[in-house]
Amino acid sequence: MAPRSKTKTETPQGAGDEDAPMSDAPTSHQPTTEEVDESMADPDEDEAVPEAENEEDMLPEEVQRVRILPGSTEHAASFEFLEEGHTLGNALRFIINRNPDVELCAYAIPHPSEPKMNVRIQTFEGTTAIEALTKGLRDLQDICDVVTDKFVDARQEFASGVTA
Amino acid sequence: MSRRRVVIPSEEELERRNTVGIQAEHISNVQATDFPRHYPGEDNSWNINKFRNGFRVQFHKNDPLEASFSLIGIHAAVANAFRRIMIADIPTLAIETVFIENNTSVIQDEVLSHRLGLIPFKGGREGLHSFLKWYKRKPNTATDNLGVSDDHFDYNTVLLRLQVKCTHNEDAAEGERDPRKLYHHAHVYARDIEFVPVGRQARYFSGADAIVPVNPDILIAKMRPEQEIDLSMHMYKGVGSDHAKFSPVATASYRLLPAIKIVEPILGVDAEKFAKCFPKGVIGLRKVTRQEAAKQGSGYEGHEGELKAVVEDPMKDTVSRECLRHDEFNKKVKLGRKMDHFIFSVESTGQWESDAIFLESVAHLKAKCKTFEQQVINMVR
Amino acid sequence: MSRESYQVPTGNSPTFGGSAAFPAREFIPDSSASTMFYICGDCAVRVPLEKGAPIRCQKCGARVLYKERTKRMVQFEAR
Repeated sequence: MAPRSKTKTETPQGAGDEDAPMSDAPTSHQPTTEEVDESMADPDEDEAVPEAENEEDMLPEEVQRVRILPGSTEHAASFEFLEEGHTLGNALRFIINRNPDVELCAYAIPHPSEPKMNVRIQTFEGTTAIEALTKGLRDLQDICDVVTDKFVDARQEFASGVTA
Repeated sequence: MSRRRVVIPSEEELERRNTVGIQAEHISNVQATDFPRHYPGEDNSWNINKFRNGFRVQFHKNDPLEASFSLIGIHAAVANAFRRIMIADIPTLAIETVFIENNTSVIQDEVLSHRLGLIPFKGGREGLHSFLKWYKRKPNTATDNLGVSDDHFDYNTVLLRLQVKCTHNEDAAEGERDPRKLYHHAHVYARDIEFVPVGRQARYFSGADAIVPVNPDILIAKMRPEQEIDLSMHMYKGVGSDHAKFSPVATASYRLLPAIKIVEPILGVDAEKFAKCFPKGVIGLRKVTRQEAAKQGSGYEGHEGELKAVVEDPMKDTVSRECLRHDEFNKKVKLGRKMDHFIFSVESTGQWESDAIFLESVAHLKAKCKTFEQQVINMVR
Repeated sequence: MSRESYQVPTGNSPTFGGSAAFPAREFIPDSSASTMFYICGDCAVRVPLEKGAPIRCQKCGARVLYKERTKRMVQFEAR
């Protein structure tokens, strides 16, 4: 059951970039390989564990998953999110649209087989596209806090009502 | 030029905006319009305090395997994000690799593996949620002679074993026809799967916290004497977007609260017929009181003591629109759904408590936003 | 056992035509190597079969025989 070895030299992630339409755009921020070269020379469980757990915590932070697309200005910008979809896209579009300084906010998934989600933000003079995006992300976090609080309260109330 | 007047919409208008109209053949007013610059003079900008004051949670049911609750005063985009996260982004532990030593049963290896993968398991919550980490395949790790790479540890891989052999039951009664009595292990059930603790797993998954199938009675295969299944399995953590077996929920869905508005009185025989257009408990029948009958322009004049239809519990309605098929009700009732009232139904597969799945989805969305907030800062730098 | 010692026939296999360099005897060194084991579909007993022998269980006479499964471990994805 040994894994089949390929004879040709191959570039695992780079192959997809070649036929990308935006030749002028910087290449994808996707990690070309998992930057893991931590030597696990000693696979003894108890010793290797702390090292590995550190790595687990650090890894997601290293990859930059959002970038600003070429052609953007201060008040009108497009952002490309990697590995995100309608879940964040639609929620973000909704909350940014509720910002009175935002003229337009829309999101799109340009192609279903690419793990990319684009957000377009155009603002009035009062704010910038990046500020609007940041505010949107913060507002969503506030919503989550309120929902959690009220959900826990309601659950508590329901539980006491059921037992009583 | 004077400052622009701030317009505050009436309660009636707000209700109209907040109700999706349901007609016999079409729906109307489906889009939320509460965003800035849609209504001249109104302030619809986002305000967390306004949201906090308007938002409510109402529980209907809270069992470990099934929870139902309403989120009231929230937008579809956010409610849908929670639903999507529950289905696709909350990690669970499931069988991912099957190493088959022997399988002489009639069920093929790949089919057997697929069936095994779909069995939901439960175990100690602390171990499942905090001790166990993702298994990440590391490139260029050495593999043993079976092709199993040595990046498996007690904190990312759970080992299971299934060893059953079907044999004749010598004690079976004469003329017995039931294979389950005639043979031992004629049916292989999920309870036959055995958990093999490795390293620190013994600490987290022992006794009542052991990793076992949620339902021990899931039928895996049927065998006849001399047939045998001998295999071991690796379980990893994964998410529903990768494969449905990793989804912590059987279903996670919401529906909007139905709104039934009786515009003109429906009385007598009509009222009884009207109630029959809906599931039981949705429409109630009450007697018209003297005060109502005395009130001019109420439509109840001279009908004291007759039965009238009233809306009792719209939550029970299925919105079949049956009442709209009858001409006598067509003008007297308006059907709709409340745009900001989401009746969630979450059914857990057993690894998480249903309500915990929802809370986890909220925490997940928050973590996602937090990550990106930092990433936007990194991007500008 | 016998399955493990099975050899892939080459292009100039003596079975098809025969060549002086590869006499047929070399492929069938002894009678046990040509014996294949099958599983009886009725009584599940291991049935040894010689080349050309009637396909039949020596114990119960059933005529449905199955091939033995590989003794190697096989790995699958549970998907």
